[in-house]
Amino acid sequence: MNIIECQSVSKHYGNTHALESLDLALSAGEPIALIGPNGAGKTTLLSILCGFIRPSAGEVTILGHAAGSKGLSGKLAALPQDALLDPRLSVGRQLRFFARLQGLGRRAAAIEVVRVLETVDLASSQSTRPTDLSHGMRKRIAIAQALIGSPELVLLDEPTAGIDPPNAKMIRDLVREQSANTTFIVSSHNLDELERLCQSVIYLENGKLISFGPVSSDDEAHNVLTLRAPGLDSDQFMMLCDQIPHVSGVSMTAQGDFLIQSDNEMQASIGIMQLLADRGWRYRQLSRGKTLEERLYGNG
Amino acid sequence: MKVFVLAGDEVLRLMTTRRGLLSIAGFVLIWAAVLIYFIMPAASFYRNASESGMLELLFPNFQFFYADLWPTPELTIFWIVSLYILPLLAITTAADQTASDRSRGTLRYLVLRCSRLEIYFGRYLGQVVVLLSVTLVTLGSVLAIVAVNSTEQLAPAIARAPVIVVNMMLVLAPYIALMALVSVLARTPRQATLFAVILWISVSIVISYVRSAYPELSVLDWVLPGSQVGQLRALSDWQMLKFAPIPLVHTAVLLSIGAFFMWRRDL
Repeated sequence: MNIIECQSVSKHYGNTHALESLDLALSAGEPIALIGPNGAGKTTLLSILCGFIRPSAGEVTILGHAAGSKGLSGKLAALPQDALLDPRLSVGRQLRFFARLQGLGRRAAAIEVVRVLETVDLASSQSTRPTDLSHGMRKRIAIAQALIGSPELVLLDEPTAGIDPPNAKMIRDLVREQSANTTFIVSSHNLDELERLCQSVIYLENGKLISFGPVSSDDEAHNVLTLRAPGLDSDQFMMLCDQIPHVSGVSMTAQGDFLIQSDNEMQASIGIMQLLADRGWRYRQLSRGKTLEERLYGNG
Repeated sequence: MKVFVLAGDEVLRLMTTRRGLLSIAGFVLIWAAVLIYFIMPAASFYRNASESGMLELLFPNFQFFYADLWPTPELTIFWIVSLYILPLLAITTAADQTASDRSRGTLRYLVLRCSRLEIYFGRYLGQVVVLLSVTLVTLGSVLAIVAVNSTEQLAPAIARAPVIVVNMMLVLAPYIALMALVSVLARTPRQATLFAVILWISVSIVISYVRSAYPELSVLDWVLPGSQVGQLRALSDWQMLKFAPIPLVHTAVLLSIGAFFMWRRDL
């Protein structure tokens, strides 16, 4: 069964088309990335799925219910972009209130709040007001509210935007841990992060669905290798790499990132590793296929 | 029922936040001043003037004091004063039913868990409970004064308390509904209050213009919330309920308009 079905969904603001005739069907499972440049319609799509805004046209079904319907309470959760908790009330009180709105009794709500706060490693923040927490901690609290009642589907809009690396890592780990029982849809501009976290990717541009598929394409993986080796003498590397058997072409995609074409990726990989070892060149990563960034925005 | 959970939270929000506690403290001080400097002296003057016959001499037609309507002068003064003060309080305390939650984005967290209409009516119900508590507390303070000033009148005064409470809630319900409506349209409680004032003045101007052009349209006199208050001043028993349809219609209309905007607006 599809967890999300969008049929010809459009959203217009006056003459601006935030989303145009979007058709999408998503199944439960591994985290799904939602990407696209600013103004692509990512937040608009997530807001429609959450029922914050209504589509101008089209139909949206989530877990068998219409978007924004009461039947989704406890099944669908979200980390909305820029939404804040009430600064006057303690974190624990607000989360308990949310849990009670999801149908939990007072006692069950209190236990559930302890559980979700422990999940985000902020159990000691129950009586703290949101304004007394750092940005990263507030984000984790917002994720904790999304985990109340163990929902089937969680939509995260820019969960790691503007937060420090330790907090960002904690959030990524959390999504990974929880994804066994919950399907996450994660919107972000951090393609590296999404590549590591998600198995499939929805790419939007100018309100249109450009592509939806696996993060790494097997077809491309058979022909292409990506070497990440910052600090390498790029001209010399490209010249020597081109001479390795089974390598048919080398190009530099970004500072320190090389895209290597080959007709036998395994043999080419061994040759590249040998070259790096012979020259004493340090590298960070050698992977099959193109990076997500290269696939979406690369020239080739 | 999520509406009751939301209503309970609305009441708790008033009692557990600094702003809420300051509002309560502010009202207690104002009410204490009204009680000490207005209701008590006015009731005392009324009682003395009435006993000495001065009242009839000073106010031959008794239009202001409605002498025989209530068992004690304290209740007479309380009823008239609260008819004007409590609606003002309703406008200020009920201004933030959804406004700041919308601008802050907190409403999004709620919408994921309950319907927009549950939030809207839950918050309204919470404000009704808050103002019912205020009515009970203020009435209780006046009954305490009655107990001290004229113990023998306490029982008849308590017997009339339900009349006051029910009718006061009927007076307040449309004001709270008006604030529920403007709170949906505003971004801050202050803006909500401003919208209410603008709406009030605009409707008053339109009514007075239409009324002058079409004098036969006397029904327009009942359009604004509180339009029955003038009549209520002259009544003191369950007969006041004959005016109940007016605030009930006001409340239903204002709540319906607000619910429509709540249902339609982007969050």
